[in-house]
Amino acid sequence: MRTKWLQFDNWSIRDKLILHILLISIFPALCLGLLISWVTSSTIEEQVNGQTSQLIGNVNKSLDYHASNMQNVSYLISFNPEIGKFFANGAGAFSGEQERYNTLKFLQGFTTLHSEIAGIMIVNNNGEYMSNEMYARSSRNLTSENWYQEAVTAKGIFKLIGHPVKRNVTSHANYKDEEVVSFVRAVLDPETQAVQGVVLIDFKSRLIAEMVRDVRLGKSGYLMVIDDKGDMLYAPKNSIADQLDRTRILADTVGDFTEKIDDKPFQYIFQKSSFTGWTTVGVFPMQETVQGVHEINLYIVSFVFLVSMLGIAASYYLSYSISRPISQLSSFMHKVESGNMSIRYNGKRRDEVGMLGHSFNQMLAQIKRLLRQVSEEQRLKREAELRSLQAHIQPHFLYNTLDTIQWLARKDGAYEATEVVESLSRLFRIGLSRGKEMIPLSDEFEHIRSYLMIQKTRYKDKLNYEIDIEPSLMNLFVLKLILQPVVENAIYHGIKERRGPGLISIRAVADQDMVVITIEDTGKGMDEDKLNSLRMQLEQVGHLDYTQPIPQEKAEEDNGGSNSYGLRNVQERIHLSYGAPYGITIESVIKVGTTVTIRHPIMHREE
Amino acid sequence: MKKLVILYFVLISLFLIYLYSAYSRGATDPMDSAVGLRGESDEKYVMVNYLTGNEYWKNCLKGFEDAAEALGVSVEYRGATQYDEHEEVTVLEQVIAKKPAGIVLSAINSEALINVIDKAVSSGIPVVLYDSNVPNSKAYSFLGTNNFEAGVAAAHKMGELVGQRGTVVILTQKNQLNQQQRVNGFIETLEEQYPQLKVIEVVEDKGDQVVSESKTGALLLKYPDLQGIFVTEAVGGMGVGNALINNNRTDIEVISFDTNKGTLDMVKDGVISATMAQGTWNMGYWSLMQLFHLKNALVEPVADWQQAQVPPLPTYIDTGISVVTKSNVEHFYAK
Repeated sequence: MRTKWLQFDNWSIRDKLILHILLISIFPALCLGLLISWVTSSTIEEQVNGQTSQLIGNVNKSLDYHASNMQNVSYLISFNPEIGKFFANGAGAFSGEQERYNTLKFLQGFTTLHSEIAGIMIVNNNGEYMSNEMYARSSRNLTSENWYQEAVTAKGIFKLIGHPVKRNVTSHANYKDEEVVSFVRAVLDPETQAVQGVVLIDFKSRLIAEMVRDVRLGKSGYLMVIDDKGDMLYAPKNSIADQLDRTRILADTVGDFTEKIDDKPFQYIFQKSSFTGWTTVGVFPMQETVQGVHEINLYIVSFVFLVSMLGIAASYYLSYSISRPISQLSSFMHKVESGNMSIRYNGKRRDEVGMLGHSFNQMLAQIKRLLRQVSEEQRLKREAELRSLQAHIQPHFLYNTLDTIQWLARKDGAYEATEVVESLSRLFRIGLSRGKEMIPLSDEFEHIRSYLMIQKTRYKDKLNYEIDIEPSLMNLFVLKLILQPVVENAIYHGIKERRGPGLISIRAVADQDMVVITIEDTGKGMDEDKLNSLRMQLEQVGHLDYTQPIPQEKAEEDNGGSNSYGLRNVQERIHLSYGAPYGITIESVIKVGTTVTIRHPIMHREE
Repeated sequence: MKKLVILYFVLISLFLIYLYSAYSRGATDPMDSAVGLRGESDEKYVMVNYLTGNEYWKNCLKGFEDAAEALGVSVEYRGATQYDEHEEVTVLEQVIAKKPAGIVLSAINSEALINVIDKAVSSGIPVVLYDSNVPNSKAYSFLGTNNFEAGVAAAHKMGELVGQRGTVVILTQKNQLNQQQRVNGFIETLEEQYPQLKVIEVVEDKGDQVVSESKTGALLLKYPDLQGIFVTEAVGGMGVGNALINNNRTDIEVISFDTNKGTLDMVKDGVISATMAQGTWNMGYWSLMQLFHLKNALVEPVADWQQAQVPPLPTYIDTGISVVTKSNVEHFYAK
């Protein structure tokens, strides 16, 4: 079953066409769709990543800019001679309140210009400090603070220390630790490189937030800023910052990766600024990158869907319109095959199938014409044969000679010979009957009586016969010489073969629209095999194929020998003239006798 | 044909399933679930004042920034760096040119800025005032201390500290409306309720520590039996404190204004007896809230609401005054 299905040749034209059209409509659309979806998804992802990196780069640049501004501020502060004095000798170095006041005014100038500075504090190496905005919470020495030590360790290099943690410094305006980012720089003595003090600048992290918050990645992506220790400097509210694996980001200066948080994949892109040491991280849900892709996919799927719909409809319609007339034609052919020659294709289409139908009709007409022509030729041929036979025999000469023999016999008193010659003469006259096909039934019986008369002369008492015919049938016409071959068979294969005298009874009766003539003999009869073989031969005559040559004389070779030839000849003539229901049937029982029945249509005149 | 119908049915249902899944996926948006009042980060509000480096403003700015953080909007801090009305006008003009989402303004005086404020409101930029008012402008609201009441409170405190009888001087900036109101409240209350407590001189100190220190030194010489000093602003208060320390005068009761570190320290040390704390953080915080409501049409802004007499906002919010003395000074230090 499967192998049969796999064999493409066995498919019907309809299925082939459907497959074909589906292949050339849906398959390319599908491939195109897949290709576009693949290309766009990779392009979009690339673009998104590229744009995000660029945005991150910009954010890093502005962060660097602000940080370097703060660095400049720290330098400007350390350049001031009064502050230099304070670093060297503490508050006592000021010549008076006025000088101290002016120094504080100087420091205030920076916060006036840079509103992003929450406070500036300068601390000398004794722990004394000056500030407008900030002061120590307790008397604990500020030099032991973490941020101070970090500045010392950095040796004059500007240092970012992120959100301050638990330091002993507070600002008057109540800036909380997470609201500021601290920058420190140690001021060194140019000669000894000893630390004179530290400038502490608190930078409002609001500014970082404003800078970063503005940047939206796609629909719901955002940026975060992480300092070099991994502390979060900025992350938007309800972000996934807490769940972020920071080791992976701190390990590298630039990169991207994907991580699942709460079973949702997020794309991370990060870049570290070498100046601030801060890393800006872009986070956006993977889902969102594919959002655009989804949209494109939606269009593609809709497109493929439409194409499939149209393709399927078109393939069904087209294949039906091509295959239906073909199968119609083929069913006509089947009918013709089973003998119905009158069928005609009557489609009105003018395409190839229409042309094929037209040819089919012409072919049928041609066949019919040929058949008629063949039967006509056969008839003409037979007539010609008969005429040539008559021409050879010269019936008048034959009759005159037979009359002369009759007269001679009578003169010599040979009365029996006279009778035989007379019968023979009658036999010939009726047998030839001037070339007519049909003769009255009376003549046919006259003919058979003469024949039997001659045979009686030969077989004497062994042969007896009786002839019984309804007088009303006398004038009906029949094909001539249909009885003689049958009677001849009855004599030679029936009576002659039996022991003792035999009887041949010939009767003619009318039965509805036909004349039924039975020739019954009390001869040897036939066994089953022989009878069946004979019946079969007669049957074949009935179904003679016009297109095949007639198997002539073939029967002579088999057992029946000439016994069947006469019967077949009669059967053939009746069939040719009147068709199947008429003809010969045989009944026979071995050692009892044989009955041959001839059915002939009632004909009131010669045709 | 039946096969075709089934095939179509299958295809259409597959397509519908796909559509459904595509749309249901688009509907879920995990991040954008902000609730409540929420602005855009490109909404920029500007705080404009004068003497921008002044410590007094730091708490206002802090309130302003905190409100911005709460609403998710951006803020900018601008103003005249000096005590200079022309500079403030210039800065305000510059700010208006940038078309900010709103301006919260503290006016250097009640005259100089009226035109610029009206221009801003007319061009659709909401303006509210804080700390010092400009009564005839189109600004939508004023948030600040009721300075007259603050002066009244200071007078009562002075009466309590000095007693019913004595002499008092006032150090103030005479051209500044808010300080004048404090002075008025102070003087009227003394005249009505403490008739024996006399204000013998009102001195101009220019809001400068050094000026006020020297002026105080002169006053101490001029009035040896002086019993009380009322300073209407913090920087001057510190100058007064320093002058008293330098002259070793602990007998004089000083009432100052505002709560900067220096003043609080002096309160703690007993140099200044009391100081009047203003709700500066509240000024900044609630002024931005008001601007936000105007900008986002949560209230209906009417440019000439004074004529139409439909104030879209409370036109005046008293941010309150509290008296800081040695007993409660710890609460006023930064946490």
